[in-house]
Amino acid sequence: MSSLEFFRLIGDIVIYTSPIIALIYFISFIRNNKAYKVFAVYLLLIALIQLGSYYVGRGYLHKNNLYYSHYYFISQFILLSFFYYELLRNNLIKLILAITLLFVSYQFISDVSIYTRYNPLGMSITHAILVVYAMIYLYKSLQGKKEFIIVNVGLLIYLISSTLIFASGNLVLDLDFSLETKRILINVNRFLSLIFQILVLVEWLRNYRPKFKTN
Amino acid sequence: MEELLNTDDTQIINIILIAIGLLLLMALAIVLFFYFSRKKIIKAELEKARLEIDHQKELLQATIITQEEERSRIAQDLHDAISSKLNVVSLNANFLTEKDITTDDANKFGESILSVTSTVLENSRRIAHDLLPPTLSKFGLEAALEELCDEVSESGKFQINYEAQYAMGALPPDEELHLFRVAQELLNNSIKYSEASQIDMLLKESESQIDFQYKDNGKGFVMEEAEKAKGLGMSGIKNRIAILKATMDMKSAPNKGIEVKIEKPLHNSI
Repeated sequence: MSSLEFFRLIGDIVIYTSPIIALIYFISFIRNNKAYKVFAVYLLLIALIQLGSYYVGRGYLHKNNLYYSHYYFISQFILLSFFYYELLRNNLIKLILAITLLFVSYQFISDVSIYTRYNPLGMSITHAILVVYAMIYLYKSLQGKKEFIIVNVGLLIYLISSTLIFASGNLVLDLDFSLETKRILINVNRFLSLIFQILVLVEWLRNYRPKFKTN
Repeated sequence: MEELLNTDDTQIINIILIAIGLLLLMALAIVLFFYFSRKKIIKAELEKARLEIDHQKELLQATIITQEEERSRIAQDLHDAISSKLNVVSLNANFLTEKDITTDDANKFGESILSVTSTVLENSRRIAHDLLPPTLSKFGLEAALEELCDEVSESGKFQINYEAQYAMGALPPDEELHLFRVAQELLNNSIKYSEASQIDMLLKESESQIDFQYKDNGKGFVMEEAEKAKGLGMSGIKNRIAILKATMDMKSAPNKGIEVKIEKPLHNSI
């Protein structure tokens, strides 16, 4: 198997397992708290966006699917902000959410052409804010048992590393690299999101799996 | 030209990849750092909890030992001061029941019985008094301490200076008892070990706190050794201070006597 096929396989795994993991999270949806519910919705939404971008870009239409990145990072920021609000219980998170959304809206209004390209600044800012939340939560989990520690670690690793991939998106496009070169970055991202998904699954298996009574 | 561009491409891609790798490494380092810190913190907390439990066990043990010692002391007292004396009474009363007894003899036995019973009465009162001085509950801490000092100075071995400025009921009765026991224990220690000739005791009430000071001019001791020896008296004093939520400052050195200052803050509701 060539490395191209290998990473293509990883990409396919990520695309198809993400809705499955989201659905798995919905199995225990009602029994769990608000943070869990927000996170399950986040997983589902991200899975749908991934499927959509896959459908448009690769699977059938072979069209520009870059605008999906905006849906991705904005919905990710909104839902994860609420997720961390549930975990950290700090009203500052809501305020930061509102300010950042205002800023991103201003970006789109002032330059409409950004829609068909990456938005490196917006992405970096939202990712950086989420990374800060993840670090704060990690710090708080030093004492006592806290929920979502594994997911939090996964988010921290994925958000920190993937920020640069998305931020360098426009540069790579503008320099008109060969397809193989662009693929390297895409493959790294696939690999990172696979790690993230594995950690999300581990969290569910360890802490949220329905426990059947054994007779 | 094409090749040149390609090398530039790979260079940029390489830089991006290296940066991503570094970021990943950083994220991992952060996670590992927190993971190990967490482990360490949990370990330290466990250790703390274990020490706490050990301390409580020691306390419990000390309490039980003290209780047993107290019981055997009471048993000894009852036996020496009451049972043996009542035996004499019983024996004498037995003589009285005999038929061929002269009036003289009867009077003699009667007197003996009277004198022994009055001793027994006196002894039983003393035992009860030692266990819990009625003065404390009736007239408060100031009077009880004064009485204690009087009793000790009656022996003639010590000269005791007692000063008090304390309104009855400034402390609740149970706290008065704790403070009284502390004073009693300090006096006991001075009597038993210190060979002191002069003892100063001060009880003072101010607006915010109660001060109790105790001083003797005896032979003193090395503080560290006393801590290690874990004398029951000392641990008793410390426990009572802890229950009182008071602070104690104890100073002593060989041939320097002992000086104890206890401060008990008052939380008067306004």
